Amino acid sequence: MNKIRFNLNGEDVTVALDPSLRLLDVLRDYFQLTGTKEGCGEGECGACSVLVNGRVVNSCCFPLANAKGKKILTIEGLAKTKRYQVLKDAFHTEGGSQCGICTPGMIMAAESLLSINPHPSDEEIRIGLSGNLCRCTGYNMIIKAVQKAAELGAGLW
Amino acid sequence: MFDPKKSTPKVDHEEKCSGEAKYVSDIVFDNMLFAKTVRSSIAKGKIVNISVPKLPNGYHVVDHQDVVKENYVKMVFTDWPVFPVNRVNYIGEPIMLVVGPDKLVIDKIISQVVINYEEEEPVFDLVNSVAHKSFKKGNFAEASRRNVRTIKETFDTGYQEQAYIEPQGMLAYLEEGGKVTLMGSMQCPYYIKNAVINTLGYPEDKVRVIQPAVGGAFGGKEEFPSTIACQLATAVVKIKQPIKMIFEREEDMLVTTKRHPSSITLEAKIDQNNKVLGIKADVGLDAGAYIGLSAVVLSRAMLAVTDAYTIDNLEVSGNVYITNTVPTGAFRGFGSPQMIFAIEMFMTHLAKDLGVDPFTFRLNHLVKQGDLTSTSGLFRDPIIMDKMIAKATEMSDYHRKTKEYAKPGVFKGIGMSWFLHGCGFTGDGESTHIKSRVRLVKDEKDIVHLYIVAVDMGQGAKTSLKRVVAMVLDIPNEQVVFDYPDTDLAPDSGPTVASRTMMIVGGLLARAAQKLKDNWKKGEYQEIIEQYKQPDYIQWDERKLQGDAYPSYSWGVNVVEVEISPVTYEVQLKGIWSVYDIGKAIDERMVIGQADGGITQGIAYGYLENMRHEKGKLKQKNLTDYIIPTSMDMPPMETIIMDNPFLYGPYGAKGVGELTFVGGAPAVALAIENAIKRKVNRIPATPEYIMELINNE
Amino acid sequence: MVKHIIPNNLQEVLEVLNAGPCHIMAGGTDLMIQKRNTAGTPPKFTKDVCYIANLEELNYIKKDDKRNSIVIGACSKLEDMSHHPDVPDLLKEVIREIGSPGIRHSATLAGNIANASPAGDSLVALYLYDAEVVVSSVDGERIIPIEKFITGVRKIDLRVNELIKEIIIPLLPITKYKWVKVGGRRADSISKVSFAGIYLVNFGLVSDIRLAFGSVAAMVARSHELENSLKNHTIEQIIDDLPRILEESNKLISPIDDQRSNKVYRRKVATNIIESFIKGMK
Repeated sequence: MNKIRFNLNGEDVTVALDPSLRLLDVLRDYFQLTGTKEGCGEGECGACSVLVNGRVVNSCCFPLANAKGKKILTIEGLAKTKRYQVLKDAFHTEGGSQCGICTPGMIMAAESLLSINPHPSDEEIRIGLSGNLCRCTGYNMIIKAVQKAAELGAGLW
Repeated sequence: MFDPKKSTPKVDHEEKCSGEAKYVSDIVFDNMLFAKTVRSSIAKGKIVNISVPKLPNGYHVVDHQDVVKENYVKMVFTDWPVFPVNRVNYIGEPIMLVVGPDKLVIDKIISQVVINYEEEEPVFDLVNSVAHKSFKKGNFAEASRRNVRTIKETFDTGYQEQAYIEPQGMLAYLEEGGKVTLMGSMQCPYYIKNAVINTLGYPEDKVRVIQPAVGGAFGGKEEFPSTIACQLATAVVKIKQPIKMIFEREEDMLVTTKRHPSSITLEAKIDQNNKVLGIKADVGLDAGAYIGLSAVVLSRAMLAVTDAYTIDNLEVSGNVYITNTVPTGAFRGFGSPQMIFAIEMFMTHLAKDLGVDPFTFRLNHLVKQGDLTSTSGLFRDPIIMDKMIAKATEMSDYHRKTKEYAKPGVFKGIGMSWFLHGCGFTGDGESTHIKSRVRLVKDEKDIVHLYIVAVDMGQGAKTSLKRVVAMVLDIPNEQVVFDYPDTDLAPDSGPTVASRTMMIVGGLLARAAQKLKDNWKKGEYQEIIEQYKQPDYIQWDERKLQGDAYPSYSWGVNVVEVEISPVTYEVQLKGIWSVYDIGKAIDERMVIGQADGGITQGIAYGYLENMRHEKGKLKQKNLTDYIIPTSMDMPPMETIIMDNPFLYGPYGAKGVGELTFVGGAPAVALAIENAIKRKVNRIPATPEYIMELINNE
Repeated sequence: MVKHIIPNNLQEVLEVLNAGPCHIMAGGTDLMIQKRNTAGTPPKFTKDVCYIANLEELNYIKKDDKRNSIVIGACSKLEDMSHHPDVPDLLKEVIREIGSPGIRHSATLAGNIANASPAGDSLVALYLYDAEVVVSSVDGERIIPIEKFITGVRKIDLRVNELIKEIIIPLLPITKYKWVKVGGRRADSISKVSFAGIYLVNFGLVSDIRLAFGSVAAMVARSHELENSLKNHTIEQIIDDLPRILEESNKLISPIDDQRSNKVYRRKVATNIIESFIKGMK
């Protein structure tokens, strides 16, 4: 059985699992990290967003094999950071979360965006989050939340 | 002094951001089994025989033979089976469950199940009516005999899929003593409890329903979860191990309830002063294979016939049609979006046919306080629509743009919809069917616990209801606790539907809290139970559909601006402005969040979301092919809430959940009309339809 | 029992391919979904799988000055291509409308080509640029023009032991271009119709003009005859020739009805797009 070694939320791990398993299932079922959600299973909704070397990907179409040697960050890992606090507070004050099922994915996508572009325009935020579907908010408050996080977190990204 | 409008921290904000909130698919039990459904591959026919392979140890099949007492899912009628016995009525109808520990083995078993059918000719046209309703107002026949012009049009609306980002799912397990417990994505814990009690024939105290975090519902989890709950309850009683069944997206899209497709014909009698003397309306709803809640959806659709207008003479009829397609059901608006699309387009079309300015024409029919409703009830409360229209017009620069965009060769458009939503259950539903009760408990530490079954599915009920109690009691939010609903602890405060949660349940909580406040005993355990009492002024005749259909009405104005490409016919949203009267906003930020989400869904219903079936098979079955808006499709939105407190609502609040959906489709459709200078009679007004309209002149 | 191989270098991949039939998986954004099984279970692979996504050896975007081309390694991510200074602007614009950031951080151009979907957006740009696909095996390399490489719906001229190694895109001295993607919405959508057009004007004459449609035929629809007939004419002459151009374009395409759109709409829009393009030439 292949042994796949990677870094998960700051810790080096080795898993002896089928390398073709979706990273989403490895995270949820094997590591019990259920913050990453399945909304569609086909790379459309972004509820399964995680960061691979700092860049957002859909873990529902990302095989475990591709995690080899990479830094994988889930919402549980991000939640330990200062950047997360800024994002979380901004989402709170702007009303960016309603039912919450898309929220971890949105925050991961926002983190990915801000680490490339710390001062995005409204349009750039919409592009950065274009792979994360939300059915509750109409996106307005989420965009405002990311804008606010970029302002308040100046220097963090 | 607390200001109800002021926003407070959402109680579940932390857990939803961090991913710690547990939705049903996140919950794992020891010894847990998985269930998957075997479904009909034909639209209509007899099941001749089913052959199941030899099952490995630990694997089970659950079907109609395992149903303990009643093989129907308790909703309004008894036609919806838990598991069909020998007939199937739609592609995807669940026939049996295969249950076991390993999903791959379950898949293998399912691939070896052979079902022999005797196929019959399915019906897809709206011809089999199973429910007919009608009502009148004034004297339409008499109005028709006056010197009038008659204009008649038909409007069609398609399916809409709720597309909550968390697919449906349920977990069933047995507690000590054989108590059947269900946890799942739901809106109505007691609907589920009552359905399971009915199917199992169990007493009240042997079934328990607990709500975990719910990732969006919009009506799609109102009645449908009862069907899977009954199936899983049957399975768990047989197998006696925890069983979890989570739908994947495609399965969810193909088999769960969606918005009723409709066909609505409106006929107006207009006098020489351009006054609409009467309207005759006929509504047809496609219920799919089972009635479910369709008769109630029909009522609401019919009652919405005059929208925000006063028309003195009406003849309204409607039918629920059964077809061999997936059963349709509740979805935000519950019948009124279909009708309000039709009547809003119709009023503008009438004006165009008469050669008069649509805005003025509509304004001349705008409802006023004291007018009779469509069912000859009374609009008793103040109506501020004129102020709201003026505000929306100003915010969006509506008049200048309408004129500007009406010029030939300009492919921009702006449209405005006026609408209302009756809050709460139709008629006397609250008092005759629901009989809502809330329970407040103050413990010895003076912490106040809310025991109700209002489900927070994103609208913020967990936060706002707690806040109402804290405000009335004049204590800090932190001293009030509202845990996830549990039917063992909470009485039936009613389903989380019909825009009733703040107005009715919040109202009961406020009254209970007031009683507690008036009789507060520090350091002592106290319990208050408050029961809903219908205000005396609500007089409703369910058979004749006459009287006050709703205790109160919320009102809205939406303006949508679009730009259409003359090359590709694609619609781009350029601006969205809204004004709402929901009585009083409890936590304005949450209300505006609901408004943003509602209008996004409503507009998308009008131009983007397309779902059709071909011979009973849905063609759009995943989020790739069923298009909902992304962040890039939405422009910035501006929303204003205007105060108009309702006497019987907590702090003046009325219903908000559905109102903000209802106006989106007509607003965008009217904007498209303004841009392409053609009449839109159908939604979704996709680029394909727009092309047809432009080219078929 | 399928084998899963995570190779360390290109040579290893070629040897694995030579040993027996296997899937080559790069980003996985197409393959993982096409083969997916019930949530929580591995995808339904019936052949061995070789995971090349992390082969740095194939992760390059480099200019080849000799050939005046840009060469894209099989494992370059689309998102990296969309920011690279040497990638042609048209291709960058196409890539920015593919999927979403999450998809673009995983997906590769080679993967798009191997998928050979009739709705593949990047393919339209590649056809227009006369891109070439370099395939590699233990037996050596072949260079195949893209329009010969894709032979049908999801069919490519790739032998069992071959791997798409890199894509050569000639750099054209063209600044005038147009890309039109008609999807269901403004992001994350599969094209109903797409069009790419480029042209070059020299001394008042259109010395080069290329036109291609996507999503309206089994493969990208492009006509060298049509293009050649327009070369070395003035813009005014080309605009005057519009009726014939529309007629020829109509013959090129064979749109279908499906869950996303219908053939009438696709044909009309394709016609409108090329008309608008020709009329917009300056």
